[in-house]
Amino acid sequence: MSVSEEFIKSILELDERKALEIARRRLEAGEDPLKILGDLTIAADKIGEKYEKGEFFIADLVMAGEIMKGISELVRPKLKELGKVREVVGKLVIGTVQGDIHDIGKNIAVTMAEAAGFEVIDLGVDVPPEKFVEAIKQYNPNIVGMSCLITVGLESMKKTVDAIKEAGLRDRVKIIIGGGRVDEYAKEYAGADAWTNSAAEGVRIMLKWIREKAR
Amino acid sequence: MKLIEELMERQRKEPEIVLKERLDRLSKTIELKEPDRVPLILTGCPPAFALKHAGVSGYDFYYDYERGWKAIVKFVEDYPMDSIFFEVGLEGHVLALAFPEVPEFMIATAGHITGPMHDILRDKYTKFPGRELPLTIPTGQFLGGRFMEAEEYGKLIENPAEFIRETILPRAFESLKDVHQSRIALIKTGIELSKAINSMTSIASDLTKLGYPVAPLTDAYCPVDFIADFLRHVTNMLIDIYRIPDKVKAACEVLVELILNMAFQVKNAVHVFIPLHLNEMLPPKTYNELYWPYLKKVILSLKEKGLTIWVFFEGNHEPHLETLLELPKSWGIAWFEKTDVRKAKRVLEGHTCIMGGFPTNLLVSGTPEKIEEYVKNLIKDVAPGGGFIISTGVADIPWGTSEANLRALINAVLKYGQH
Repeated sequence: MSVSEEFIKSILELDERKALEIARRRLEAGEDPLKILGDLTIAADKIGEKYEKGEFFIADLVMAGEIMKGISELVRPKLKELGKVREVVGKLVIGTVQGDIHDIGKNIAVTMAEAAGFEVIDLGVDVPPEKFVEAIKQYNPNIVGMSCLITVGLESMKKTVDAIKEAGLRDRVKIIIGGGRVDEYAKEYAGADAWTNSAAEGVRIMLKWIREKAR
Repeated sequence: MKLIEELMERQRKEPEIVLKERLDRLSKTIELKEPDRVPLILTGCPPAFALKHAGVSGYDFYYDYERGWKAIVKFVEDYPMDSIFFEVGLEGHVLALAFPEVPEFMIATAGHITGPMHDILRDKYTKFPGRELPLTIPTGQFLGGRFMEAEEYGKLIENPAEFIRETILPRAFESLKDVHQSRIALIKTGIELSKAINSMTSIASDLTKLGYPVAPLTDAYCPVDFIADFLRHVTNMLIDIYRIPDKVKAACEVLVELILNMAFQVKNAVHVFIPLHLNEMLPPKTYNELYWPYLKKVILSLKEKGLTIWVFFEGNHEPHLETLLELPKSWGIAWFEKTDVRKAKRVLEGHTCIMGGFPTNLLVSGTPEKIEEYVKNLIKDVAPGGGFIISTGVADIPWGTSEANLRALINAVLKYGQH
C-alpha cells in the first residue's frame, strides 16, 4: 500500500492520530503539500460514497471533517512557506436561508467542502435571497448551497431560487439544498438541482458536477 | 357533505361522544388493535400554519399565551383530527434538571422556555420571534451551544446536578450569573409559570369542549441528547464520542437518574414525551453502546410507572429499528420522521405502535389529488392489523401549506382509514 493509500485509509477509519502522524511524516519527508491536500479531495469523495452506502453516519463524517481540518491546518504553513496555493476544485457560495438561523449542518458542509478543495464563501445564517444573488454576481461560483432546518426554510429556498432566476443567473450555477427537513418534494418545490441530508453526500454530488463540467 | 365537514359539525355538536371515540381509537391503536379508523394526529412546535390561519404571529404565540395558544384551538376546530400535539416554548430541560424541586416548571411547559421566560432568564440557547428573530417568523429556534469543555466531564460525572446548577446555568443564562440577579430572575420566572399554567388550563378546557383528549404530559430525554443540546453542542458531542467515549458513557450513567427524577416530578402525568436528536447521526455500534442502553433504561423506568410513552425518532431511524424489539410489547408510540413507515411496520408489527408516514413538505408542494393518492396508498400498506397513527413526520404544519392540501389530507384519512 502506498503512503497515499495508507493516509486515505486512516482518514476513512477515523484514526485521527494515525492520519495526522502520516501527514506530519509526509511533510517532514519533503513531499509536496499539494499532493497531501489532493488526497483529502479523494478522501472526501470516498466519505460521501460510504455515506451513500449506509456505511457512514453523520457522526462519522463530523469526525472525518475534524480530522481533515486538522490535516489542512498542519499543511497550510508549509504551503505558505513554499509560496504555493492549493488548486481550487470549484467555488461554492453557501448559506442558511432567510428566517432560519440553524447552522450545524451548514458548518459541517463548509468543513467537508473546504477539505475537499472547494473555495467556500459562507454567507452565514438567515441569508435573504438578494444576498445570494449579490454573492453569485460577486464571486461567480459554480455551485450555490442552501441549508435549512425548519420548514420556514422551504419557502425561503423557493424565493431564493426565484430571485436567482429573475437575476438571469440560474444557468450559471448548480443549486443544491441540504438540511434535516429537505427531501425530493422540497427540491422540486424550490427548483433546485439536488438535495441531500448529509454534507458528505453533498460534497460528492458537487464533485460529480465539477467533473462533468470539466469533460 | 364532505367527511371533514361532517366531523367538524359533530365535534361542535356532540363533543363528549367524539371525545370518547377519539380516546378509544387512540388507546386501541397503542394497544396494537384495529380501531374503527386510522387516527390522525397533527403536530407543531407550534404548527406554523395554525398561526397563519388564526392571524397571530410567532411573537403572539410565544409571548401572549391566551391569544397565541387560541390559534391551536381555532386550528383543530377548522381542521378536525384525533389529537393535536404542540409545544408552547423552546427546550429548557436544563432548568428542570437543575431544579427538580419545582415540578411546576415541568407541568406548565413540559420543560420549555416561553417568550417572557426567555426575556427574564436571558438564556443563550434559544432565539424568539420579536426578539432576536423578526416578528413574522412563526417558529422560535433552539440553537443550543457549548457551555462545557471536554475537560469538564469529570466534574459533571462527580456531581451532575451541582455542576449544572453552579457552572452551566451561569454560563448559559445571563440572568443567572450572580446571586442577587438570579434570585430576582427566578422569582419572576415563578410568576410567569403561574400565568402559563392558567393559560394552559384554559386552552385545555377549550380543546375538551371540541372533543379533543387532553392529559398532563411530562418530558424525558436521552442522556447523550441532553449533553449535546445543553452542555457540549451537537458537533462537539459527536467528536467526544470518538475521542473520549468512556467519559461520555460515565456521564450518561449519572444523567439517567437525574432525567428520570425530572420526568417523575409531574405526579399526575399520563403521557411522557421523549424527543430524540442524535439517534440517526450515530453508527449502530455507537448507538448500541452509548445511546440505546440509556434510552432503554429511561423508557423502561417510565413504563413501569404506567406512563404512555411517546418517542420522537428524529431523522431516519431505520438502522436502529430492531433494537426497539427489546422493549416490552405495546410500550408506547414510536413517532418517526424520515424512517420509512412501511419498513418500520415490517420490523415492528404486533410490537410497537407507529406514528408518522406523511411527508410534511408534500403539504406545501403537493396537490389535493396527489395527497389523496398518497394517503390512500399509505393506509393500504401500513394500516392493516392496526397500530398505526398517521401524522406528519416532523412537528410542524408549514406556513406555506395550502388549505386545500390540508383538507385533502384530513378527508383522505376519514375516507380511506376505516378498518
